Amino acid sequence: MPPREGTYGLLAEFNTPSELVHATQMARREGYRRMECYTPYPVEEAAEALHFHKTRVPLLCLMGGVMGLTTAFLMETWINVYAYPLNIGGRPLFSWPAFIIPAYEWTILFSGLSAAFGMLALNGLPQLYHPVFNAPNFRNGATTDKFFLCLEAHDPKFSLTESRAFLEQFSPASVVEVDH
Amino acid sequence: MAHGTEHIEHHAHGPKTLPAVLTAPDFVAAWRTRMLVVAVAATLVSLVFFLVHDGPAHILRAYLLGFMMAFTFAGGGLCMLMLQYVSGGKWGLLLRRPLEAMARTLPVVAVLFLPIIFGAKSLYVWARYTTPTEFWQAAHQGLITEEEALTSIAKHAMLSKSSMIVEWAVIFGVFLAMMYFLQKWSVERDADPAAGSQRSYDKWRERFENLSGIGILIYVILMSVGAIVWVMSLDVTWYSSIWGLQFLVGQGFAVLALSILTVVLLSKTEPMKTLLRTTEQHDLGKFLFAFVMLNIYLTFAEFLIIWSGNLPDEIPWYLNRIRGGWWVICSMDFIFHWVVPFCLLLSRDLKRSKKKMVILTSWMIFARAFDLFWLIEPNFPDAARNLHLSGNFGILAYITVPVAILAVWAYCYLTLLMSRPLVNTNDPHLAEMLEPEHAH
Repeated sequence: MPPREGTYGLLAEFNTPSELVHATQMARREGYRRMECYTPYPVEEAAEALHFHKTRVPLLCLMGGVMGLTTAFLMETWINVYAYPLNIGGRPLFSWPAFIIPAYEWTILFSGLSAAFGMLALNGLPQLYHPVFNAPNFRNGATTDKFFLCLEAHDPKFSLTESRAFLEQFSPASVVEVDH
Repeated sequence: MAHGTEHIEHHAHGPKTLPAVLTAPDFVAAWRTRMLVVAVAATLVSLVFFLVHDGPAHILRAYLLGFMMAFTFAGGGLCMLMLQYVSGGKWGLLLRRPLEAMARTLPVVAVLFLPIIFGAKSLYVWARYTTPTEFWQAAHQGLITEEEALTSIAKHAMLSKSSMIVEWAVIFGVFLAMMYFLQKWSVERDADPAAGSQRSYDKWRERFENLSGIGILIYVILMSVGAIVWVMSLDVTWYSSIWGLQFLVGQGFAVLALSILTVVLLSKTEPMKTLLRTTEQHDLGKFLFAFVMLNIYLTFAEFLIIWSGNLPDEIPWYLNRIRGGWWVICSMDFIFHWVVPFCLLLSRDLKRSKKKMVILTSWMIFARAFDLFWLIEPNFPDAARNLHLSGNFGILAYITVPVAILAVWAYCYLTLLMSRPLVNTNDPHLAEMLEPEHAH
């Protein structure tokens, strides 16, 4: 794939999370959809302002858990009843109370692994390159004390001049054009 | 900030102001009246069971269940109150006054125990006779089994009518003393002239921590004694070393459910409307989930160990609770107090929804009482391995008597809840609770 060229978007820098959330809400109201917030710590209101959709990670986690539960329980049943039946203290071969513990452990293991790998699969990590790092003020600010809103160029409403004017009405610390 | 509307919206992100009136809203008084009506109605219905066969015996057993539920809230409330003092955190400040109100019902719960002392002979085999000779005579006459005679004699130091009164006095004496200081300091803390200063915060934090740390240890030991004497000894031959802990976790389960129910219902109006943030409700939901897990972990561990051992002095306790139709109650118990809350509390949206949490927490309080029914009723020879309703309508007293006791208890709880502001103001966490939710 040839490297993409041109503008990735406009990056506005704010000093407080409140300003960021406000600008995001107004941008959404204005009709922008392709946009993203970058903050040094989780700001749930920013996610709300973006109308951030729900991810499928909980579903993957649940499916993993159910899979672990059934796998372990069926495996124990198969081993103890069919593959290698052993008389342990005269108990029935299908001694389900004893199978609960491994099934419980596998539930935790499978749901933990599917949550972690499902998260990685869905969010596209590991990602070695992202255009916003081209902005000179982003690298330091986004991990310490600055709050960024990026209006992305592939939004149909995006226009270099109008979007910049729109962002500047919220008196951000800076508005930077980001290249791919 | 060119337009007025934007200005207002921007302001919504600033810190909220503490409501001027911090006492419970007026509708709590209406709930209290409702509780009184429920108490009277349930008592009247309960009286009918005096007329049926084996009714009085069942009323007493059901009374024990009701008492254990009231004790769960009062004692468990005290323990959770101490726990939040040592752990700190916004959830603790949010629940502090409801927990305090629960703990302050302890005198009432202590008095509620008296009928059990008077009816001990009907409930406990070990309370029927006093000397070893009398136990042996009873065993020879076939009134009790030989094993019951042997174990009653062996456990006489802990299980006898006089020890029961001493244990009751010590348990409630110590709990009342701890509760007295905690609730007294809580009022003094707010009235501190230096309120709001770091010095005042540190002084009170340390004072509460010093009592609560040791208090939790004392509580756990004494509560275990209570749980053993009042419930486990209904079957004098049986023992389980995890019993006390199981009751402790059961208390956490029910107390947390009731606390969440209280704050969420109060959040319809000020001051709780401002104080209860979704963040804290979500955290409490997760905490509740932990208790749901720990509760099944302990109860299942106990079952698995005894099932694996399959020894004649342990396993009959479970057989009494599984055979003869009891498997229905046993399965329902498992579904009610684990499957339902576990599956529902997995959902993030449910933990953040007020309406759904009200339904779930009410359900969990019922589930705890249902669990106690499964623990208590099969101890008695007429019910062990024989769950039946025909000719045994007295068993329905398990529905009405605990409702009556809990309604009386709830009346006291709500009265105490109304008597103080719903939040401790001299606490640094209060400022954090008034912060907008994104600033964590």
